[in-house]
Amino acid sequence: MNFRIDLIIEYMPYFLRGTAYTIGISLLGILFGLILGLFIGLGKMIKNRFLSFPFTAYITFFRGTPLMLQILIIHFGVVRALLGETNGVFAGIMALSLNSAAYVAEIFRAGIQSLDKGQMEAARSLGMNYYQAMRHVILPQAFKRMIPPLGNEFIILLKDSAQISIIAVPELTYWARVFQGRFYKVWEPYLTAALIYLFLTVVLTFLLDRLEKRLKQE
Amino acid sequence: MIRVEHLKKSFGNNEVLKDISVTIDRREVVVVIGPSGSGKSTFLRCLNRLEEVTSGHIYIDNVDITDPKVNINKIRAEVGMVFQHFNLFPHKTVLENIILSPIIVKKVPRKIAIEKAYDLLQKVGLKEKADDYPASLSGGQQQRVAIARALAMEPKVMLFDEPTSALDPEMVGEVLEVMKRLAKEGMTMVVVTHEMGFAREVGDRVLFMDQGFIIEENTPKELFENPQQERTKSFLSRIL
Amino acid sequence: MKKWLVVIFGLVLSGLFVGCGEKEAENVAGEEQTEEKKELRLVTDAAYAPLEYMEGDEIVGFDIDFIKAVAEEAGYELEIEHVGWEPIFVEIEGGTADLAVSSISIRPDRQENYDFSYPYFLSTNKILVREGSDIKSAVDLKDKVVAVQNGTTGHLAAEQILGVDNPNLKKFDNNNFAIQELISGGADAVVADNAVVEEYVKNNPDQNLVIIEDPDAFEAEYYGILFQKGSPLVADFNKAIQTIFDNGVYTEIYMKWFGVEPDIEHLKSLQD
Ligand SMILES: Nc1ncnc2c1ncn2[C@@H]1O[C@H](COP(=O)(O)OP(=O)(O)O)[C@@H](O)[C@H]1O
Ligand SMILES: [Mg+2]
Repeated sequence: MNFRIDLIIEYMPYFLRGTAYTIGISLLGILFGLILGLFIGLGKMIKNRFLSFPFTAYITFFRGTPLMLQILIIHFGVVRALLGETNGVFAGIMALSLNSAAYVAEIFRAGIQSLDKGQMEAARSLGMNYYQAMRHVILPQAFKRMIPPLGNEFIILLKDSAQISIIAVPELTYWARVFQGRFYKVWEPYLTAALIYLFLTVVLTFLLDRLEKRLKQE
Repeated sequence: MIRVEHLKKSFGNNEVLKDISVTIDRREVVVVIGPSGSGKSTFLRCLNRLEEVTSGHIYIDNVDITDPKVNINKIRAEVGMVFQHFNLFPHKTVLENIILSPIIVKKVPRKIAIEKAYDLLQKVGLKEKADDYPASLSGGQQQRVAIARALAMEPKVMLFDEPTSALDPEMVGEVLEVMKRLAKEGMTMVVVTHEMGFAREVGDRVLFMDQGFIIEENTPKELFENPQQERTKSFLSRIL
Repeated sequence: MKKWLVVIFGLVLSGLFVGCGEKEAENVAGEEQTEEKKELRLVTDAAYAPLEYMEGDEIVGFDIDFIKAVAEEAGYELEIEHVGWEPIFVEIEGGTADLAVSSISIRPDRQENYDFSYPYFLSTNKILVREGSDIKSAVDLKDKVVAVQNGTTGHLAAEQILGVDNPNLKKFDNNNFAIQELISGGADAVVADNAVVEEYVKNNPDQNLVIIEDPDAFEAEYYGILFQKGSPLVADFNKAIQTIFDNGVYTEIYMKWFGVEPDIEHLKSLQD
């Protein structure tokens, strides 16, 4: 086997461009996933079964079906219906956001429910309404507990973003596949892409660890 | 000031409060005693509707707080509560714990809330701890902060649910001291406790609860020295 | 540091691969003694109707009928497996498959690393657009969004017009996705083999798609059977191809799938 480092170097601009897409799409994916996930997590905690049903159904659907299919449905179905034409980047971010929101929602719910009941009671006994208690007492504490699982979710999302290469979003895995299609080489593109992903996840893990430590000190 | 009429409370099929009627006057200090599981906490929690009552009425200053139309947040702001496990907000400093509710619920200007908070901390002897986090305080100090936090809302009544039973013995005194001072200043108080010394010194009346009923009520002296009911006698013989 | 990682990682994995390959080779050798006909593993990307595609769980198509006839002539049994496009080249190069038919164009760059049989099929790329499109020829693709199947000659042909790795050139896993992208408005055109686009338009007349030919821009291509470099099978298969060219079997299969006569003489003229 002759390993063609020269081809990797020649193709580096594409790998780097793809990496930028991967990072950007993952960041937007987790950002919208967080916002939507908080909302859905709160929705799922509504005591009234009738009202909480849509949120439960959402979580069940997105956790119970393969991300790959969600991507295809959103790309060729949903986005086309919304915009009148397909848009890979838009669909990719949307699929990753919607998918991660389901997991984030469960993380939020677990984070909130792991808090001592006494915190809510103390807040309510001081005259705060439900939203004030949530906003000032429950959520800030729950957020701290959610940092590790949310960080984990972000790492998963970053790796899952490889799947949007199937709809030709020019991210890292896409360029690795194009490389293979071009030069009929396997090791070079896929090992390079794997190492870039590894680098990203290691850096991310490091940053999350630091954040966690800093929050603990507070 | 507080009038409880035929209060009943069930959890599912478990009727915890069976028929409670009692009146508590302004500036009165009422001590509630009784065996574990007799419904003391539930009773207290009904008084600020942390539990929804099953039937009966509770009037505070002639407002029926069991009325679903009443603004329960306003009622709660006027009824302070101190819990067995303090329930301070661990992510906020002592000072922030105290000023949070006045600022967001009563819209007190921050500056005034802080001044008030320092006064209260002075009163409970913890002024120098204002910027510490609860986790760095002892249990007794935390409970004193919790009392100051409740007082910051300027409540008409203070409810205490076994405020010293989670504390190491050497810290019980400092908390009781604060409560005694509060009683002497004329605060209306309902206190669930087994501290008989406290009951004798500042209690105007003692209620003995068992199995969801108020079995006997009297002045501390009379009730402790001359209990009328068998159940009261056997309970007292066990704890004294 | 990074280089070393690559090298070590590569070595460990290639060790694993070689190990597997040897095992399979042993198996094949073992079977040979008991069976008369030698069984070959044929790989294909069955997403290229009508040349090779899935009907239910069966792989069918012109290429499949063709290769079955050739193999029978040459005295081999085939075990046909759908593995996808890119794995074809990996399997052949690594020796885990013996041959591949999958509308694979004979091209010099591929010939560097692989062996091909005689050409058995003439193909040319065509452009598929929506009705009313202002694309009339290949040069019009220049600043349009074009969808292709990654690694195909259509991909390369489009790349020559749009420029290498132009972001407007969307490379999909297969032509179905590429055509879907065109229908959905995410692309203005698809460049793919004539057989593929013609079949699609024939089967989906309601989609209002139009095929554009541009023989000046897209050179004719010839499909061949793909083998590992130096494979001893090439000679056997070439001989068998000649035979079915001459005995009418090829024409019969071609007529069955395309309804017209093949230009066998033209294909034969290309044999070295
Ligand atoms: N939230 C609840 N759900 C169900 N049962 C409860 C709940 N809170 C209290 N109880 C039950 O009510 C009874 C009285 O409890 P409580 O008022 O805490 O008694 P005490 O404070 O006198 O020990 C107990 O049997 C307890 O199990
Ligand atoms: Mg209790």
